[in-house]
Parts: sequence; structure tokens; C-alpha cells
Amino acid sequence: MRIIVIGGGISGLFIAYELLKRGIRDIIVIEEKYLSAGGSGRNIGCFRSSFTSPEHVILMKRSIELWLNYRSELGLELKQSGYLWIARKPETLEIFEKLSVFHRNYGIPTRVLSIDEVEHVQPGLNKDIIAGALFDPTAGRMPIFENLVKLYLKLKTLGVIFHFYTKAIRLNSSGYRVKSAITSKGEIYGDIFIVSAGGKGTRELLATVNIEFPVIDETRHPIITEPYAEILKPALIIDWDTPGAPYVTQTEHGGIIFARNIADIPEALLTSHRIDVIGLTIKPIIELLPILKYVNILRYWIGYYETTPDHHPIYGPIYPYENLYVAAGFSGHGLMMGPITGLLIADWVLNGKPSIPIAENLTLERFKIGKLVKEIAIVG
Amino acid sequence: MLGEKKPIIICRCNDVTIEDIINAVETGIDDFEVLRKYLKIGFGPCQGRSCLLLAARIFAKLTGRRIEEVISEYRVRPPIVPIPARVLLAGVIE
Ligand SMILES: Cc1cc2nc3c(=O)[nH]c(=O)nc-3n(C[C@H](O)[C@H](O)[C@H](O)COP(=O)(O)OP(=O)(O)OC[C@H]3O[C@@H](n4cnc5c(N)ncnc54)[C@H](O)[C@@H]3O)c2cc1C
Ligand code: FES
Repeated sequence: MRIIVIGGGISGLFIAYELLKRGIRDIIVIEEKYLSAGGSGRNIGCFRSSFTSPEHVILMKRSIELWLNYRSELGLELKQSGYLWIARKPETLEIFEKLSVFHRNYGIPTRVLSIDEVEHVQPGLNKDIIAGALFDPTAGRMPIFENLVKLYLKLKTLGVIFHFYTKAIRLNSSGYRVKSAITSKGEIYGDIFIVSAGGKGTRELLATVNIEFPVIDETRHPIITEPYAEILKPALIIDWDTPGAPYVTQTEHGGIIFARNIADIPEALLTSHRIDVIGLTIKPIIELLPILKYVNILRYWIGYYETTPDHHPIYGPIYPYENLYVAAGFSGHGLMMGPITGLLIADWVLNGKPSIPIAENLTLERFKIGKLVKEIAIVG
Repeated sequence: MLGEKKPIIICRCNDVTIEDIINAVETGIDDFEVLRKYLKIGFGPCQGRSCLLLAARIFAKLTGRRIEEVISEYRVRPPIVPIPARVLLAGVIE
């Protein structure tokens, strides 16, 4: 059985890995550009399970367990140094209390911190403008490209074939079976087709077999500084009460990354410039952690949040086709979901259903029957 | 010490040596853009002005390609030279 995976990002890599572990030997990955040219090479490398829907919480918790296993299995690196959501307004702490109860029900030990406790987690915060925080000690971050490359090299050694700089232009079907992918370098035949081509890539490719895929790539502009010795203790600090939920993280290499959800033209070119986002993004974070006003800003880049109407991924079979599957639309959380994405898609392809039942809520069918995922709180 | 081989630095901003590049290619990295991101060549304060062509030439030679084939995705990003955050804060209007 030959399986064709379209998209060489974190999702495609983990799908290939999980299929290999279950005995599939003939796997071809088709990638339009180079390894992880999409979101997987443009994100900030953080993970958490403290979300606001049961779907996200259950799947992300399992995904983190898998990431932790992959430290020994694949030599991947990650560190659980926690997420710190800062409340500026006292009433936000009530929301945090509710969230913490919700998380604890699923076994995620988040807790609400007083101003003094916050200082232990991150020294130097401006206590005059902070009411408290929510802390998730199980969240963390990872060196992204190091992990991606390790996974890629492992897959290559295990016999997965990669076609880089090869774009899948359309899928070729006969009745309800996909026969081949017509690519920029010729036609590729297979028995099963899995599309994990990010947001726009997946939408455009599925449109060639008359499937409407509701995702839009929202433009994001993370900003990085020169490298510094460790300034940030937790993996991520998020300013909950400021619109666009500004956040800051420090990479393993020392660069400090600032980001904020600032509206831009959806699917703006990767080379388009928005120099004004720098000031808008760093200002609220520097209010919270004033020492950051002394850092040197090096560059910013562009990436996309592959956003679906309910901000949850779309997984599983694409009806009415018998041999077509999808994993895309992670709405800005696809890196951390990589391992669970691989597991669930392998379940669907080989067993016809996911081993974690709640994942059934995330198929494309939900938009047809109007059963979108509900969250208990929306951040930002 | 006399006679001891000194590391040959290719990317001064991020301390990447020629050995790092050779090792990466030997472990199976077969794309310059992946190599660049993996070793952070060109991601330092000079954004590759001093190292990029050097690294690309070495990579091209190691993989038997032409230099113009290997540099495809490299971009210099604003603000071009590092700027102190406090300078960029001036005049921010929400
Ligand atoms: C600024 C920013 C910060 C983020 N931070 C985080 C974070 O901290 N944690 C987290 O978990 N997530 C984060 N994300 C989201 C995360 O990066 C994505 O959700 C994730 O990388 C999606 O992976 P993917 O493999 O599904 O898609 P991608 O990585 O986008 O991979 C899809 C691949 O398919 C290729 N492709 C597209 N069309 C075709 C075609 N027709 N033929 C062949 N190939 C094609 C593309 O070139 C691409 O390489 C962030 C994103 C951004 C932009
Ligand atoms: S010398 Fe390589 S980025 Fe400056």
C-alpha cells in the first residue's frame, strides 16, 4: 500500500512517522518548497494543554505526553518551563479561577498566582500594573528546527521518500477514489492520499476535487531580538487583558520573540512589510517587563495562523472520497499538536476511526451539520 | 598552541564553523535553507551580510550544486540593522 502525504511540515512528518511505526513502508511526502517552509518553520516553538475546549485539552495533553516520549525515542528536545498569563484587571482573576477548575478536571495543574507569587515565576515584572496570573507548569517550549531536522533525518533513514520543490497542483479522481496527484514534476500515483498542506495550500488542493475547506491564513508578524542570556524564566508570558494578547518567549539560542495578533490583510505576501507592528507588539510587553526596553530588535518575519471558523483543526476522512484524508487548519497550534496529529490520522487511515473518541468532533462534517467546537473562554 | 587546528568560523554572529556545516551535510541535510535554519547561518545581527555567500559556496561545493541553485529563499528582514527596543517605542499610537 502506497501512502502519499502532501505537505512537509510538522503534521506531514508525524503522520509519516506514525504510519511507519504501524508497519507502512511505502510512504511519499510531497513538499512544494523545502522542509517545513510553512508554519512549521515560522512559529515560536511553544506548547501547552491548558486550552478552553475539551477537544483541545484532551488532545493536547496526550500530544505533550507523546512529545515527552519522543525525547528518548527520537532524541527530540523540549523543556517544561510553564506558561504565565498575566491579568492586569482584578476581575480577570475570576476568569482564571474558572479556567483553573476546568483544567484541573482534566488533570492539568494550572493555578492562579498572587502578585508576589508571580514575581517568583518571573522576576522584574511591573507589579503596579498586574493583578495576578494563571500559571501552567506543564507547558513549555522547544528548539523547533533542531527537532524538525531530527525527525526528518529519522524518516529518511527509515525509507520515507521526500519530493521537495514539488507542488501538488491538483488531485485526480475517478468516482470516489483519488488516483493520483498531478504535481509540478509529474503525476504521482498512490492508494491513500493525506493532505497536510497548511491552510491555503490545503484549501486550494481540496478545491480541485470539489471540497470546500473553510480555512483562511491570518498574517502574523513575530519579532526577534539579538540573543541574550536567560531573561525569561517561563516559556511564555501572555498579556491577557490587552487586545491581541501580546506574548513573549525566549528561544534556546537566546533570542527574545515578541508577538501579538494584529489585524493585517489575510494571506498577505511573505515579503510584505508592516514595520509599524514592531512598536505595537513590544509596547505592552515592555510595560509588563520593563527590562526589555534595553534589548536590540533584530528582525521580524511573517507567518500565518491557518484559521478555521471555530479555531480548531480539521482532521480525518474527506467524504465522499474513500481514500482521502486531511489534517490542517490548526489555527496557530499545529506544532504542539504534531504527535497527536500523526497518531489520529494513522488511526483513521488504518482502523477507520480515531482511538481518542473526542477527535470525531473535529472532522470536516462538523461545518456541514453546524456542530462547531465550543470554548469556555476566548483569549485576546 | 602551534600546529593545533583552529576552528574556521563561517558565521561570526552565531559561531558556526566550517566543521558544523560539513557535519550537517554528512548527517543528511540536503537543502541550504534547511541548513541555514538548523545552524542559524544568517540569522545574527548582520543578517548574513558577512557569512551568507561564504556558507552558500561551501554548501554548493559539498553537494555538487551551483551557488545560484542553493540560495533561493534568503531574505533580509526589517529593521535591517538591530535597533534598541526603546527607540522603536517612541511614537507608538494604538
Ligand atoms: C507566529 C506564529 C507562531 C506560532 N506559534 C506556535 C506555537 O508556539 N506552538 C504551536 O503549536 N504552533 C504555533 N504556530 C502554528 C504552527 O506553526 C502551525 O500550526 C503548524 O506549523 C502547522 O503545521 P502543518 O504541518 O500542519 O502545516 P505547515 O507547516 O504549514 O506545512 C504545510 C506544508 O505544505 C506545503 N504545501 C502547501 N501547499 C502545497 C502543495 N500544493 N503541494 C505540496 N506542498 C504544499 C507548504 O510549503 C508547507 O511546507 C505558530 C504560527 C505562527 C505563524
Ligand atoms: S555572520 Fe552570520 S549572521 Fe552575521
